[in-house]
Amino acid sequence: MTNFLEKLNAKIPSAVTERTEFRGDETLTVDAAHLHDVARFLRDDETSQFNLLVDVYGTDRAKLGQSPRFAVNYELYSIPHNRFLRLVTAAPEPEDSSRDALPALPTVTDLWPTADWLERETYDLMGINFMGHPNMRRIMMPDNWVGHPLRKDYPLGGEPVYFEHDRNNPRFAHLGKPIMFGPSFETELPEEMDTEGNMVINLGPHHPATHGVLRLATELDGEVVVRVGPEVGYLHSGFEKTGENVRYEQFIPYCDRMDYASPMANNYAFVSTVEKLMQVDIPEHVQYARTILVELQRLGSHLIWLGTHAMDVSGTAHAISQYTFQMRERILDIFEMVCGARMTTSYFSVGGLRWPLPGAFDAAVRAFLKESEVHMQDFEDLLTRNPLWLSRTKGIGILKADDAIALGVTGPLLRAAGVPLDLRKVRPYLAYADLDFEIPTATEADTYARYTVRVAEMRQSLRIIQQALDKIKPGPHRTANRKVALPPREEISTSMESLIHHFKLVTEGYRPPEGQVYHVHENPKGWLGFGLLSDGTAKPHRLRVRGPSFVNLQATDLMARGGYIADLITVIGSIDIVLGEVDR
Amino acid sequence: MQAQAEGKTGSLGIALAKLEDVVNWGRTGSVWPLTFGLACCAIEQISAGMARFDIARFGSEVFRASPRQADLLIVSGRVSNKMAPVIKRVYDQMSYPKWVIAMGDCASCGGPFNNYAIIQGVDKILPVDVYVPGCPPRPEALFYAMDKLREKIKAEEKLGVREW
Repeated sequence: MTNFLEKLNAKIPSAVTERTEFRGDETLTVDAAHLHDVARFLRDDETSQFNLLVDVYGTDRAKLGQSPRFAVNYELYSIPHNRFLRLVTAAPEPEDSSRDALPALPTVTDLWPTADWLERETYDLMGINFMGHPNMRRIMMPDNWVGHPLRKDYPLGGEPVYFEHDRNNPRFAHLGKPIMFGPSFETELPEEMDTEGNMVINLGPHHPATHGVLRLATELDGEVVVRVGPEVGYLHSGFEKTGENVRYEQFIPYCDRMDYASPMANNYAFVSTVEKLMQVDIPEHVQYARTILVELQRLGSHLIWLGTHAMDVSGTAHAISQYTFQMRERILDIFEMVCGARMTTSYFSVGGLRWPLPGAFDAAVRAFLKESEVHMQDFEDLLTRNPLWLSRTKGIGILKADDAIALGVTGPLLRAAGVPLDLRKVRPYLAYADLDFEIPTATEADTYARYTVRVAEMRQSLRIIQQALDKIKPGPHRTANRKVALPPREEISTSMESLIHHFKLVTEGYRPPEGQVYHVHENPKGWLGFGLLSDGTAKPHRLRVRGPSFVNLQATDLMARGGYIADLITVIGSIDIVLGEVDR
Repeated sequence: MQAQAEGKTGSLGIALAKLEDVVNWGRTGSVWPLTFGLACCAIEQISAGMARFDIARFGSEVFRASPRQADLLIVSGRVSNKMAPVIKRVYDQMSYPKWVIAMGDCASCGGPFNNYAIIQGVDKILPVDVYVPGCPPRPEALFYAMDKLREKIKAEEKLGVREW
């Protein structure tokens, strides 16, 4: 298993200073001077082949008493060897001690192009410079922002919340006063854009076809797209900073609001990361219930994508969005029955489900399955061989497998390029190992291939739900571990110990052990990763979110180049982005 | 001939009303919202336009992509510091008369995002007519808000540009 490490040590001695393993996560601490060489070796050598850079994020370790203060984590995944690896590199303190000087590390964008935006985000929010990066500027915050919000000495911000309001009290004088902004400053265009010879048009952030507040600076030669510069951050909501200021359990509702097209899946991704950190055993009933709900959510997310994408591409002609949203409403009805909310479910808690599944759940899901067979057939009849649809999607927005992997693209986009990478199959979790399903792939790598892959995936989801429903057995809806999950109501009135557990959990929350974990879940849109750095308190010291849409969106430029401006809309639709997750 | 027509349609008499009342009555029937979505609430806003909830029952199904043609800005989601100038500009581009609904907790008061990135309520940059609580509010809640807005439009006393 570790033979690549021996080879690495032989080739670049003293580069790896430490190797640790925690909860199955392998971590190599790498010296900053050798980072680039080590990264190149790990990517290229046949014993390692870490060809997918999953995530790059910084940590501020000042309060942990570690020096130097900042470190950068690289989460790598090897598709051929199916293993994860984390590199941790401390960023050397800047030599000149002025306030604006930033710690710096060499960039890895030349090895993994996906590092481009990830490093920019680290620079913007954590204040770590990457030397040699082609475009080192802010990505989330406005260009004129001062400070780096994720640093521990940067305050959370916001406003104090008053529960009483007295108009005469001068303390409240500032409330209700409008802040009127001056004229908005122009955001910089990417440097290579030719504003003289070609036409540069600005698409968004308010545009009906960008699926949210995405801005695309588009350089056009006639009608042909020369270059696209996506500008994100218009919905940056500080999820990571917020998560570091609330307890683990309190972050679950925030997950719903990230990729708001698939809240259940986000919940699961976060909850399973905390469970990995705390090593909680999950009852079998819960595993199956979660599988059903996560797959229903996959359907729901793909239905939003199908409806809006078809509307972008061929207008309201076949009104397919009306039908897909109708089918999604059925799923939302099931969610509402399960947890009382249509969209912001927060149904999973660490150690199980928040409440038991309702008695009518089984019948409701079965009725939905029966109904949806007909719906699915309708969608395919409307689109699969529709000449309009074919002419707008075939051969458009091609993203080949090599480019996709280099850009860190995951999910249906990667599978439509012929790479059968699906975590449900390659590293089964939940109940997926016991269920029979296939991973649909395609080889054309164009928009139509992505359509066929997603539709086939929806059919597989229906199949998974059917099997899971047949196999689910009644059982406890929470783990018996009282340190994590609340005791049953009856027990509280009879057992003193349970009462104490309940009190402790509600007032203080649980305290995971010190350590760092990273966990990835196959979300409908790609890999949703959560990184947690625990310092042994009830709040995470560092919470990292890797949004699949954020990473996949980087491929826009490559996919749209050389195509027509009208196809740019098709390309954006086929990536299936949700801006809440892009900007976090 | 004329007598025949009168027999069919009833007496074509004269009705007297204040100009404001007639204009306001006309405005209530077709409030066109702007196609403008920010976050989670935008998905519920889309759901409101779809077959099940059907915003067309209230005459507001014509979502306009251009601010010039829209009467109503539904701020559906959290407003970040980076987005605020853009929203202000979109609002300024809308022609009078125009109204604003702050849909959801984030647009009303910042919601759960009390932090550096989010403006604590869109009313810091725009005049808001109706606030809708909920995270996100159901489509029915949005319809109720639009109903409240219609009441407000009907009660408008002066025509012309409203100063904030």
